[in-house]
Amino acid sequence: MPLTRSKSPTRSPLQERRESGRGVAELIAQLQSDDAMQRRRAARDLGGCVDALPALEHALARETVTATRQTMLTALMSMDDERVATMLLPMLRSDDVALRNDVIEVLQSLPGLVAPHMSSLLEDEDSDVRIFAVNILESLRHPDVPRWLQAVIEHDEHVNVCAAAVDVLTDVGDVSALPALDRLPQRFPDHPFIHFAANMAAEGIRRGDDA
Amino acid sequence: MNKALVIDDARTVRQYHRELLESVGYAVHEAFNGIEALEICGAETFDLLVVDVNMPKLNGYDFLQSYRERDDGHAVAIMVTTEARPDDALQAMQAGANLHLVKPVNPETLKQLAQLLRAEEAA
Repeated sequence: MPLTRSKSPTRSPLQERRESGRGVAELIAQLQSDDAMQRRRAARDLGGCVDALPALEHALARETVTATRQTMLTALMSMDDERVATMLLPMLRSDDVALRNDVIEVLQSLPGLVAPHMSSLLEDEDSDVRIFAVNILESLRHPDVPRWLQAVIEHDEHVNVCAAAVDVLTDVGDVSALPALDRLPQRFPDHPFIHFAANMAAEGIRRGDDA
Repeated sequence: MNKALVIDDARTVRQYHRELLESVGYAVHEAFNGIEALEICGAETFDLLVVDVNMPKLNGYDFLQSYRERDDGHAVAIMVTTEARPDDALQAMQAGANLHLVKPVNPETLKQLAQLLRAEEAA
């Protein structure tokens, strides 16, 4: 199921809840059902309902069925509330690869909520979290994305964090990234891959600039 | 000619691994994530898979488990991760990997492993 945020719903989630005759309290209770289908329907109907955010957080932490979990994440995406980002960001530390990937995909769609956290994410002591932050930047529609990525390749000391940033720059970088890309191999002289990736990104940017 | 499938969401990594493997005689295909890799494996048979873990849609562990359930899912699989934690290696092996390497992969290591595999196939 694609994690796509509806831009122009014909009926609001609240209208749908009213039409279905189910109240928020009933739906929240249904999130605890033993039936994954019931949990998924409850999560779907709670989309946009910020009052259900704590209940969805609790349910998401326990959910093991992928389709139900994705519906819960989709419901969270529909809430324009800064608590959604605060709730999801710790999940980047999960050992569950599928959950992490789903969370990254959701966060990519919430630039306004994620941007205030990006600097601290990119300075996290865990290099994996910094890589996941770069993964978020890959599809984050925010004007500071190139600046954040350039800061990573200028200052981050972990080779794989820089490698991830270089890969994203191959798609979103512009000529302002070239000086940092040209300097990067000097920071990692023992890693041929960094030389390769930085050259590939720089050549791509130069070709794009010439076009 | 032996065939390899490089599975990684990072374009730079796919291209790097492609060039290394082609330099030791492999015909290389690429996949962006586990879903695409499973589709390609449905149409082609491979001798070597180089599999990233963190990918969108279907991650490397889940891809490899699905691949190993196939009747022809016998290719040697090298799983690559960004850290050298014991848990990563264990999880890779449990998913069906033959080898676990840490990114960025040393080019000589990958080429030697690929050549070794070709020699074993030929023996």
